[in-house]
Amino acid sequence: MKRRPSLAVDFCGVTFPNPYCLSSSPVGNTYDMVARAFDMGWGGAAFKTIGLDYEVHITHPSPRLNAYSYANTKVVGIQNVEQISDRSTHQNFNDIERLKKNYPKHVVIASIMGLTHSSDWKVLSKRAQEAGADLIECNFSCPQMTVEGTGHKVGQDADLIRTLTEITKSGCTIPVIAKLTPNVADMMPMARGAKAGGADAVSAINTVRAISAVDLDAFVPLPNVGGKGSVSGFSGAAVKPIALRFIAEMASDKRLGIPISAMGGITTWMDAAEFLLLGASTLQVTTAILRYGYRIIDDLTEGLEDYLDDHGFASVEQLIGKALPNVTDPNGLTHRTQAVSVIDDAICVGCGQCYLVCRDGAAQAITMSAERRPVVDEAECFGCLMCKHVCPVDGAVSYKVVPHHLEQYATH
Amino acid sequence: MSTNPETRRATVDLTLQQAIDEAHRCLLCHDAPCSQACPGGTDPAKFIRQIRFRNLKGAARTVLGNNPLGGVCAHVCPTDETCRAACLRTGIDEAIDIDGLQRFAVSYGRSRGLVVLEREDETQRPKVAVIGAGPAGLAAAAQLGRMGHGVTVFEGRAEAGGMLRYGVPESRLPLSALEADVKEITALGVEIRTGTLVDRADAAALLDEGYAAVFVAPGLWKAYTLDVPGVTLDGVDTAVEFLERARGPHDGLAARVRGQNVAVIGGGAVAMDVAHTAHAMGAKKVYAIALEALHELPATRSELEQAHADGVIFKPQCRVTAITGAAGKVAGVVGCETEWIESGRPVPSNARDVEGTHFELRVGVVVQAIGQGPTEVVGRILSRVDRRGKLADVDPMTLESNVKGLYAGGDVVRGPGTVVRAVADGKRAASAIHQFLSENAEVAL
Repeated sequence: MKRRPSLAVDFCGVTFPNPYCLSSSPVGNTYDMVARAFDMGWGGAAFKTIGLDYEVHITHPSPRLNAYSYANTKVVGIQNVEQISDRSTHQNFNDIERLKKNYPKHVVIASIMGLTHSSDWKVLSKRAQEAGADLIECNFSCPQMTVEGTGHKVGQDADLIRTLTEITKSGCTIPVIAKLTPNVADMMPMARGAKAGGADAVSAINTVRAISAVDLDAFVPLPNVGGKGSVSGFSGAAVKPIALRFIAEMASDKRLGIPISAMGGITTWMDAAEFLLLGASTLQVTTAILRYGYRIIDDLTEGLEDYLDDHGFASVEQLIGKALPNVTDPNGLTHRTQAVSVIDDAICVGCGQCYLVCRDGAAQAITMSAERRPVVDEAECFGCLMCKHVCPVDGAVSYKVVPHHLEQYATH
Repeated sequence: MSTNPETRRATVDLTLQQAIDEAHRCLLCHDAPCSQACPGGTDPAKFIRQIRFRNLKGAARTVLGNNPLGGVCAHVCPTDETCRAACLRTGIDEAIDIDGLQRFAVSYGRSRGLVVLEREDETQRPKVAVIGAGPAGLAAAAQLGRMGHGVTVFEGRAEAGGMLRYGVPESRLPLSALEADVKEITALGVEIRTGTLVDRADAAALLDEGYAAVFVAPGLWKAYTLDVPGVTLDGVDTAVEFLERARGPHDGLAARVRGQNVAVIGGGAVAMDVAHTAHAMGAKKVYAIALEALHELPATRSELEQAHADGVIFKPQCRVTAITGAAGKVAGVVGCETEWIESGRPVPSNARDVEGTHFELRVGVVVQAIGQGPTEVVGRILSRVDRRGKLADVDPMTLESNVKGLYAGGDVVRGPGTVVRAVADGKRAASAIHQFLSENAEVAL
């Protein structure tokens, strides 16, 4: 039998059997849940964020979630108002201990959050290490903490990130990951702050502050909690493009130079491959599990193995950062060539959507023939490719690259 | 969506999610072929797009605003031959379930109290008489009412609807769908005088009785019968009688059909309705005997699929030469095979018997579905109107007859046709009448 590519990755000196982890969330709330995920093939798990229960008793608003469904697709994203773990600190660390005992080859990440004193971070990191966690993830990024001065408020202050990372590091010797928030204009100062505080890695993105929907009859943002809704964390496929941006920016920064654990809408192996190509080395998932269950791991791993195989890679590590050299600022894009749409009459069904989008949003370069076939005026086409993007027939619209129609600008 | 008529033609409405999903399959064509293919101008491309963008009441406005019998048509339209036949999604997989979406739009709007048919303004306009409350008459009445004309519809039968009520089985058209469309039309102020047969020498007389124009749409209710021995035996019906009795209080029709073999003569939509109704009543074997070859049958694909699903036994290119009886009741039919004298011209006068192909079928019921013509009453009321054969001959654009102010449409002009064609006639006549009366403003109110 042909040898399959290896999905194992090294992350801060810890070997993951595959890069796929549960992210710190309801999907990794208890021993039983994480054990089932490990049994089904997940490589690691960031356990649901642990605080010190004797300081703050955590309860959650309810309903906790609202799904953003677009058109006929259900759950394109999820908004949540959930807090960190509501279980006892002892119970959580006890679960981590049992997990490491029963699943020594799987990776357990203890996600922690200090709630009232900065020294909490040290207490928690010490206990995480004692419980046997492989890594610690500092939750600097939950956008809906009801405890003042926690969550993403920390994550918007680079100095605070550095300080709290230092304190966390002072309680442990295992590697520490700083989990960053996308609710900033620029994540780089935060990532550098984490590194300056001794973080061994960063993870991103936590959820995006959002209102997913408004109840049109009750006039209340959703989820409607007792007649009110709020801005809170939004996740899932809808945020993936934003997540890819942050990962690419951090991975491209030569001075940062620490591993990145990526999350933000990963649902298929293709999403995973994109994050790996942009420099992430481990991957975390929640929303897709909320929607489909742990079983998606089969398709995430098998699909990624086949992809590696198709491209001749023996190990997933060869993929990491492979697209980074091709990421540039918009001003780094050439203006010497352009795309021109090419339509395959033989398979076109004649719906004319390409004609409509070209007419109303582009170059008016497409006309419809009497036989209901689109005809592209190559001299007018400026290569936005909206026609290709809306075409319902696979492969009916492609494009060719031609020298730029500079005369368009000279004559118009 | 399934093309099986039994499932696709489910009388259960699509749910909101199903409708949204189906609307998302639509390619949203530019200059959409489905809309071009709708004889009634219902504009499916528009209402599907409205459903897609969650403009659900708007979708109902489009359907009923363009087609006052849009609720009915969503059940009875032969969409596989009109809008769905033109659907470009077939280039990818299957046509959009346009009838399902149309039913959804109409029932969504109605379930939320939406009234689409309203008077466009309060101007009093001349009164118009409509003869016949079938699809053509109802459509004309609705359009004229919207434009502010006082409309009186004279209907000889006890209820409005014409063939929709008395000729189409419940399985194809739930009575509730018809009643909902009729209710919206009467709510517009249109008066339907049921049980009022216009039986006078000349419909044009109505023009002298205060009606500024008359639209004659009485339909074709005289069923043609075979000219063969035994046609008067007990147990020989016409499709018109059979379907009307099936629709109403059965007066023992089902009991007479149950367990019997039934011979349906004819291969069109009406014959298939009879066959399906007989099957549903528990007939043992149902034969369909037609002059046409299978591929020439006038029934639509979905009607034929239904017949096959019911187990109807086709005897194509055959005719009945005699009906046999015992004690005055039908006992069987005798027939033979036929062929076309001149190939490619499937009309009765072109058929001839094939020697030595005699057959006999043992049946207890015979239903003749071989065509319909105007009744004698219709003949009288059209006495001054030019004819083409037995049908009224009118201007194809305006449907105006040679008698000024007298218009005619529906089956009495075109011969047996679909509901949506009759609706189209009603709309066309209404526009022409409105224009005529606007241009002749001196006509008395």
